[in-house]
Amino acid sequence: MIAKGSSNGERFEILKYSFKTAFKSIVHEKWINSLTILSVSIGLTIFCSFIIINSNMNSALQRWAKSFGMVVYLNEDVSKEREESIKRQLLQDTDIETVNYISKEQSFEEIKRTMGENAMILDIFKETPLPSSFELKLRKDYLDIVRVKEKAAQIQRLDGVQEVQYGEKWLSSLITIAKTVKGGSIVFGAAIFIAVTFITYSTIKILLHRRKEEIETLKLLGASRGFIRLPFLIEGFFIGALGGIVSSLVILGLYSFITYKMVEFLPAMKFLVTSLPLQVYLVIPFTGAMMSLLGSFIAIGKIRY
Amino acid sequence: MILFSDVSKSYENKPVLNSISLVVKKGELLFITGPSGAGKTTMLKLAYCAERPDNGRITVADWQVNKLKQHEIPELRRNIGIIFQDFKLLSNRTVFDNVALALSIHGMNPGKIRHYVNEALEEVKLLDKVNHFPQSLSGGEQQRVVIARAMVSKPIVLLADEPTGDLDIENAKVIMDLFSKINSKGTTVLIATHDETLFRASGHRVIFVNDHYIEKEYVA
Repeated sequence: MIAKGSSNGERFEILKYSFKTAFKSIVHEKWINSLTILSVSIGLTIFCSFIIINSNMNSALQRWAKSFGMVVYLNEDVSKEREESIKRQLLQDTDIETVNYISKEQSFEEIKRTMGENAMILDIFKETPLPSSFELKLRKDYLDIVRVKEKAAQIQRLDGVQEVQYGEKWLSSLITIAKTVKGGSIVFGAAIFIAVTFITYSTIKILLHRRKEEIETLKLLGASRGFIRLPFLIEGFFIGALGGIVSSLVILGLYSFITYKMVEFLPAMKFLVTSLPLQVYLVIPFTGAMMSLLGSFIAIGKIRY
Repeated sequence: MILFSDVSKSYENKPVLNSISLVVKKGELLFITGPSGAGKTTMLKLAYCAERPDNGRITVADWQVNKLKQHEIPELRRNIGIIFQDFKLLSNRTVFDNVALALSIHGMNPGKIRHYVNEALEEVKLLDKVNHFPQSLSGGEQQRVVIARAMVSKPIVLLADEPTGDLDIENAKVIMDLFSKINSKGTTVLIATHDETLFRASGHRVIFVNDHYIEKEYVA
């Protein structure tokens, strides 16, 4: 029976044999495999939670960006011509999306409306104490603290402008948090990637050690490297995939819990909580599988005869 | 079929084989004998590429063993039946599965595997032990399982390292009869043994290895 190379039929039988061996091992080594699946799922759940937080931060930032405004208060003694001139300059600025002029009277009326029944205390003023102003909306992609500051300073320098106001601290905090979460996600992602790979690496190393005798015999009988490796790679792949499936289910469960239960108590949550796209729930098991596959591959190492 | 040409091998600067040359013809049954540590096992290991020679050329059928690359070794071994001194049976697999392993690595389908394994086990008279685990078998029976595993893929060469090492005379005779039967079908058989009773008056060629050399060669 001189065998040189393998036919497709033989390769298929080897693949079948490898799957059978891998699943037998998953069942036979159920404790170590369950622990690995659990560890992989915890790692992926933590990572995905960070992604969800990150994506919520981004959507909050985008929502806020839509309503982000800058108020330019004018000097009390500014002339109508100067107001018009400032308006023209602001309209010509391509970084500004909209310019809305609010006269002294409009400001006074707005304050009165806001104060409601208490507005009578404003009757002591013979004329409006508020300056006229411009409400500006910046371009969405302009939400960078440095650029906003520069823009505010640039407008502040215009003749006739008394003060430029925007939520400087709020914007700064939000951007810092978003950047921290984004950076954290990257660092966490790398750490989880290494951890998941290492967890599977360790498990497969243990399984390799337990089946050392079998591997030695297989090598002596003439088993190819692929024949020896494949069951371990399949096992690693499925451990990672199962870990990913558990993680997907946990994230989906947590998300459902937050949206359906917590919203009852805090309706604002509905607008805050952004879900992961549905495809991500499929990507998580695949990512887990690929990380574990890599761990298994490194664990098996070079097979020498 | 098997050629050793000027082969030397040493471990940690201690010579085991020194310029050994040997030709084993196709279909021959040859005994390698000598005291412990003479290099009998090393000669077999060199033939199935578990060891590499320091010098010399080794050929088994079409394979120049001393020049084989790592990925080429499995193919050589799939065409050689090997009987190990310590059996190398997997304790967590049945007799059937142990023998079937030698065919599974070929990528044979389960139907054919069943046919060939049953045939091999019938040959070694162990068909009734097909579902037993190795540890429940006697030493002689375990050795017969190893022979069945070595022969099931119909190899062109059979290498046996101390095949009767731990067996009583009766079992040793059974094993030797099996080797003779295998050899009579055309398989080249190389047996390394220190047990003279195995080859006495067998009519087969014997080489006596001593002090790293082939000291003598004769027909028993």
